[in-house]
Amino acid sequence: MKSKTRKKPKSASSKRKALRLSKTRAGSSGATLVADAARALGLPIDPAWEAGVTFNLQLIMRHAALVDEFALSDEAEPAPVFRA
Amino acid sequence: MRPNRRRCFVPNAAKTDLAGMTASAIAAAVSSGQIDAVGMVEAALVRIRERDQEFNSFTTVTEQRARLRAQAIDVKLARGEAVGPLAGVPFAVKNLFDIAGIPTLAGSKINRDNPPAGRDATLIERLERAGAILLGALNMGEYAYDFTGENVHYGAARNPHDLDRMSGGSSSGSAVAVAGGLVPLTLGSDTNGSIRVPSSLCGIFGLKPTYGRLSRVGTFPFVASLDHLGPLARTVRDLALAYDIMQGFDADDPVCADRPVEPVTPLLEMGSEGLRVAVASDYFKCENVVVRSAVERVAAALNANREIEIPEARRARSAAFIVTATEGASLHLNRLRSRARNFDPAVRDRFLAGAIAPASLIVKAQKFRRWYRARVLPLFETIDAILAPATPCTAPFIGQQTFTYGDVELPVRANLGLYTQPISFIGLPVVAAPVPFKPLPLGVQIIAAPWREDVALRLAHALESMGVAAATSPASQIETSLRTANGNRPTRGRGRSQNRI
Repeated sequence: MKSKTRKKPKSASSKRKALRLSKTRAGSSGATLVADAARALGLPIDPAWEAGVTFNLQLIMRHAALVDEFALSDEAEPAPVFRA
Repeated sequence: MRPNRRRCFVPNAAKTDLAGMTASAIAAAVSSGQIDAVGMVEAALVRIRERDQEFNSFTTVTEQRARLRAQAIDVKLARGEAVGPLAGVPFAVKNLFDIAGIPTLAGSKINRDNPPAGRDATLIERLERAGAILLGALNMGEYAYDFTGENVHYGAARNPHDLDRMSGGSSSGSAVAVAGGLVPLTLGSDTNGSIRVPSSLCGIFGLKPTYGRLSRVGTFPFVASLDHLGPLARTVRDLALAYDIMQGFDADDPVCADRPVEPVTPLLEMGSEGLRVAVASDYFKCENVVVRSAVERVAAALNANREIEIPEARRARSAAFIVTATEGASLHLNRLRSRARNFDPAVRDRFLAGAIAPASLIVKAQKFRRWYRARVLPLFETIDAILAPATPCTAPFIGQQTFTYGDVELPVRANLGLYTQPISFIGLPVVAAPVPFKPLPLGVQIIAAPWREDVALRLAHALESMGVAAATSPASQIETSLRTANGNRPTRGRGRSQNRI
């Protein structure tokens, strides 16, 4: 049977740490991530666009950090519904 | 063959204030024989020709189609046949709606190379069945990824209240064409706020219905799990009239709900009687004095004396941001590979970033979405509607990069929708109601429980009846009318030439 209990919320310090980690991940190696992922996906990124793409990726990652630090149970279902 | 017309009455736009007529008034005038549909269409075409050089709201004007349609309505009337509740009402649609015979641009340069649409979008068909007359396609932000109304390919749609200011987006032309008096009714799409933001900045009413209420068949998508369609107009009655006609199940849209048509127009006069209204607190408290005044004025009129917290709204906005960036990027992946240089650079960089974002975070955002929905919906057990600002500021200048929010500067492009995103994230129905501040108007969101568009529209109608919410005529519209009446051409031609077919 599925447990309905939510995981204990993370402490404030661990949330901050997660946020810092995400910021670091995006900030220091954002350009590398952009170049590597673009190559893997076959996306041609002109060097002149890299700064703009990296800035927007950092923005996404900052928003993602806010969602990532929120504790959800293992049973949490995603929102989209497939109807057969 | 030219049909027999009851009268040869083609009104002179310079003499007759047809620009100020609502859709309801036009339908009543055409149905009762006070004016013919051909005359109505010709007057609207004159207005578009003379004023849209400044507004830049239309990308295609479907002149011939509109004339034929109007003639057919006049013939029906002459025969005594029924013509529908929107008889002779000119309307136009954001250019992501399919219009048979022309490519669906969705604000892009790339889509110009697509074949013409084979049929009209479902909502166009439904409006035309009710007697409305399509006048064309409207400017928008590229691929709907925009809150500003700027477009590198087609130029910015300009705010009729101040032509140097943003219209808001992405349904930019939809708001401008209504606010500028070109047509009384338009359709737009709203993924994160694209009906509510331009409605707010241009000072008109806009309805974003419940997710799944209106069919999206025949429209170019942006973020499938967040895309909504809806009407924009100068009165609540016009919104309700169009909304009622467009309701109904469509098996071709996988998320369109199989619900009965629930007409709202007959309920409007019930007003706010018996409805419990609260003001959104915390995240939605804006330090901008104009924004705060707008919400306070609406709250006082509706006796909304209590505040309510929408839990985790800030995080919901972030989750919506992620879902939008990544789902949108996925839609355009092949175009990003093959034609990246043909995108608007600002939009391209956002899509490329979205394509690269890690998938694990996207799933987490969708899981959070369900958690958030489960916490927000119970709020409607004790209240019927929630008030919140529609935008964090009045219309910024075109080209303006940042705006002041509290004590920080935020980028305009990404943040004009910071109050709309947490609401559409779970598909709640909302009416954006304009508070007619001078010199620039501002909208307030009236948010209701899922499938309770009637509540939001009743409250908006009550505000309109009290004069608290109103779509006022912009100064630019009056000036242009005077110049036209005096025989002078408008001097400020900034728009790009429309495609007239």
